Amino acid sequence: MKKTIQIPLGSQHISLLEPIRFKFECENEKIIGVDADVGFVHRGVELACTRSFEFKQVGYVVARVCGLCAITHTLSYTLAAEKLLGYEANDRIKYLRMLMVELDRIHSHMLCLAHTAENAGFEALFMQIMGDRELIMEVQEAISGNRIQFDYISIGGVNRDLTSELSALIRKNLGLLAEKIDTLIGLFDNNWSLSLRYKGVGVLSLEDAYTYNALGPLARAAGLATDVRAETSDFPYEEIGYKMILESTGDIHARNFVRLREIVNSIEICRNIIENLPVGEIQEKAKGKPNGEAVIRVEAPRGELFYLVRGSGQNMLDRVRIKTPTFSAIPAMMEVFKGSEYADAPAILASFDPCMSCTAK
Amino acid sequence: MFSSMLEAFLNLFRPIRTLQYPAEEIILPSGYRGLIEHDHEACIYCDKCEKVCPPGAILFFQHEAGEKEYRYNPWLCIYCGECVRACPKPEEALRQSEKKQLSAVAADGANEQWFVWEDACRQSREAYTAAKKSAKIQSKSEE
Amino acid sequence: MRKIETTLPALLNEIGAFYLPKEWHFLSVNGIDLGGGKIELQWIFSRYGVKDEIVIYYALSDYETAVPSIVSLIPSAIMGEREIVDMFGLKVDGAQRGLYLDPDSLPHPLRGES
Repeated sequence: MKKTIQIPLGSQHISLLEPIRFKFECENEKIIGVDADVGFVHRGVELACTRSFEFKQVGYVVARVCGLCAITHTLSYTLAAEKLLGYEANDRIKYLRMLMVELDRIHSHMLCLAHTAENAGFEALFMQIMGDRELIMEVQEAISGNRIQFDYISIGGVNRDLTSELSALIRKNLGLLAEKIDTLIGLFDNNWSLSLRYKGVGVLSLEDAYTYNALGPLARAAGLATDVRAETSDFPYEEIGYKMILESTGDIHARNFVRLREIVNSIEICRNIIENLPVGEIQEKAKGKPNGEAVIRVEAPRGELFYLVRGSGQNMLDRVRIKTPTFSAIPAMMEVFKGSEYADAPAILASFDPCMSCTAK
Repeated sequence: MFSSMLEAFLNLFRPIRTLQYPAEEIILPSGYRGLIEHDHEACIYCDKCEKVCPPGAILFFQHEAGEKEYRYNPWLCIYCGECVRACPKPEEALRQSEKKQLSAVAADGANEQWFVWEDACRQSREAYTAAKKSAKIQSKSEE
Repeated sequence: MRKIETTLPALLNEIGAFYLPKEWHFLSVNGIDLGGGKIELQWIFSRYGVKDEIVIYYALSDYETAVPSIVSLIPSAIMGEREIVDMFGLKVDGAQRGLYLDPDSLPHPLRGES
């Protein structure tokens, strides 16, 4: 007689934001085997980038891969295309791009924290964090002119400049947010339903993080010191106060704290950018046709985003390879599930901050 | 722990944080990316906006007499503003307003009618270039 | 970015000699259609804690030749391998079709002629 039972989670489940299906092989309440199906929202973006759109338009296509990290997708593609055109942006453009990416990181991390709170049964905190997140959404809307699809970065620069009123708004909202994050850190540390619930649950060990190539907050919570911001030289992150945030326990609590402390660090970075914004043009001419192969890595809120772009001097590109953070984190995720209780699965999943529309592209 | 319980209790007496939408109006920030507006008088019909538009929401219909007609689909547009940046006379011929487009209803024919237009625009151009070519050949043979 | 040419039969040995879990981060498996039934396969690595160091192992192949799986060395490569099986219709040991595609989808969307 079979001793295990199979319990599915998804593809539609109350705790899931996006369609993903896990098949858990359970022994009583304990999960001993996992199988994942992630391709529910495949749209063929890679194919569209090489068949239907010219290289100047692809930046707007890849932004539609994912709503939350729209800016990082466009940025990675734009950097790759600029590399192929032999163009390097000036400092003002670099700083404005960094500003948007860091704002994006803040609101993406807040969304994830809200959902981990919700999955601990703390609905009120979910509402509160989502409300506070509006501060950042407001800033992004004011800078780019749109709430979700920013379309802010284009080849050769950025589309809009930062006026003094905008800087004042950013300063004000970041100040308000910094206070709220301080309270949140206290809450996540001391509130029983968050700290007791999440300590020691869903542990990824450092060994496993190396073996399964974990990345982003998932790896940093396990103590694996990897952050693309420190491993690439496309942006001057060290100049503006970037610090790598590391935790050691690798459980959900540690992941929450990596995110919270990264928000604090990102607020710091945003403030430094606004105070030290260099002068210069925001749009420059990047002429020519993309020729050759370029590889770009950018730290998206969920981890490393990788683009490989190949062109052969034509308007159409030969290949656009998109490797998204959740896609590479899935083997590590499946490892974390093994050995935990079935009842914890939604909370563990939320703490990974999975993005299925990125994964399936 | 107890501070968060107190906080939750105090929330009962705090004002509502959400916007009561149909009753209250949403205030869009200045610089909101809205509808693309075209000026027939100022436009020089260079077709640059049509070429750069990522979703293909701007099309030009070619009339037989030579003039072109601007056609725009606000439901296909992604409001990126690439057309305005490509325009040789921005703010005059083509500008991005702060107006918001309402959702399409069936009568707008946002999908089917646009496909018909797309075909019509392509055919009008092909017919126009073919007519031009044959006119050229004719004038040459007359010489 | 450093590109190292390899061949499919020698792949497992080369990557086995090169890959140290604590030093290299495995990014992904990638395929690029070269036209005429040829494909370039890439295995991409980056180094932890070092700026801009990316190593790409690449091999030229055709669509009929089976691609060796590196899952025994790098367990997380399974995702990338399943992806190239879907996208290019390649044969990789241990990776079955169906990560993204449904049974009624295009057979191999990223192949040149499709």
